[in-house]
Amino acid sequence: MIESLTVLYGALPYLLRGTLVTIVLVAGAMCLGLVVGINLAVGQVYGKRWLRNLIGIYIWFFRGVPLLVLLFLFYFGLFSLLGINLSAFTVAIIVLGLITAAYQSQIFRGAILSLPEGQLKAARALGMSDRKAIVLIILPQALRLSIPGWSNEYSIVLKDSAVAYALGVTEMMARAHFVASRTYEHLPLYFSAGLIFLILTYLGTKGLRVLEEKLRIPGYSR
Amino acid sequence: MANRKTILRIEDMTKRYGSKTVLKDASLSLKEGELKILIGPSGGGKSTLLQCVNFLVKPDKGRVWLDGEEIIHSRKKELYAYRQKVGMIFQDFNLFDHLTALENVQIALMKVKKKTREDARRRAVNELERVGLGDHIKKYPAQLSGGQKQRVSIARALAMDPKVMLLDEPTSALDPELISEVLDVIINLRVNGMTMIMSTHQIGFASELADELVFLEDGNILEAGPPMKMLSDADCARTREFCSKITELYGNSF
Repeated sequence: MIESLTVLYGALPYLLRGTLVTIVLVAGAMCLGLVVGINLAVGQVYGKRWLRNLIGIYIWFFRGVPLLVLLFLFYFGLFSLLGINLSAFTVAIIVLGLITAAYQSQIFRGAILSLPEGQLKAARALGMSDRKAIVLIILPQALRLSIPGWSNEYSIVLKDSAVAYALGVTEMMARAHFVASRTYEHLPLYFSAGLIFLILTYLGTKGLRVLEEKLRIPGYSR
Repeated sequence: MANRKTILRIEDMTKRYGSKTVLKDASLSLKEGELKILIGPSGGGKSTLLQCVNFLVKPDKGRVWLDGEEIIHSRKKELYAYRQKVGMIFQDFNLFDHLTALENVQIALMKVKKKTREDARRRAVNELERVGLGDHIKKYPAQLSGGQKQRVSIARALAMDPKVMLLDEPTSALDPELISEVLDVIINLRVNGMTMIMSTHQIGFASELADELVFLEDGNILEAGPPMKMLSDADCARTREFCSKITELYGNSF
């Protein structure tokens, strides 16, 4: 018992540096997913048929192929084929980002479609271009409505980020595994890894809850 | 009235949804300071006609002139400039729910008319005071009553300095008690010479203020004429029937 704790104590700074890698990985992927996802959603709602079809294929692909396959496909396949030399960490951010973009786009699309069509009409009637109407009127409302779904997506991406280990990214899970296999203290290390994930989930969803409350439009009852 | 210039002219406006024709060859012209009121049963094409005028609904056929200039709606720049000059009021207000009353009026001034924040704010406060909402500028739509919301939407439209206003049943979604506060604002516009087309079921209001009533049914303009003639002595039997029914229902005065 004491031995386990000593190992754990010694490994903690190492694990926490891995936690930082996990945080950057997830933050990067969520941001990429946000930007790409918003564009996919807008394209899918307001775009021409060819664009909607193209986006449909994108979403089908990234939701349909398993994460591990995509990571290998991009890291060992696509990027080396194209002669682009990216670190495993960067590739993990890109792949996680592109996948969550596909899921996030559907959160945003649902929110956009839930707005009354009069919002767009009123904006157009004032002489706004569609682009202005979407940026100034539609998205500020749709994104507010998307926060609960987005928070859900965050907790999924957070857990998925552990798979980046397979590319050799030394995020938190990878580090727990290294230490565990060297010291044979499997239980305390994986327990700690799980606990850190739980704490990150809590902090993230809590933070988004606070954001949701801050951005709530006055006058609406809950 | 006769020698005033024509501000808005609509010719042969037609709109089909699938095989159903909701508006058929509707033509209308509006002189400076005129108020024409569209009446007729729900689903008769009043709303479609109004929304075709500023191309919120794209007509299948039909032409529009503002101040003698034809609007080609496929030219985006021209369309956006034209819409700034045509104010629109909706039945269900369509205020931007995430913005305060002030911001609702301010946003198009800043983002479409490119006014500075300060200028836009001054103008917006002015317009809101004019419709009696000077004390409510910081409130969000969800904190306002229906009548207040509609007045904000009128202020929002007026801030753009429109040449014509289109009002699509502006009082239909309001509690009876709140109707008059909106009608008062519209009367004020009328007195100040705003050119307007409005659809409504407030027949008493319509007959007292309108220069002309236009009766629309099944997408056709069946008859148009001065209110007194339309209400008491319409040429078309269907117009007579509708007018007598609606007068019974809403009364002659307002």
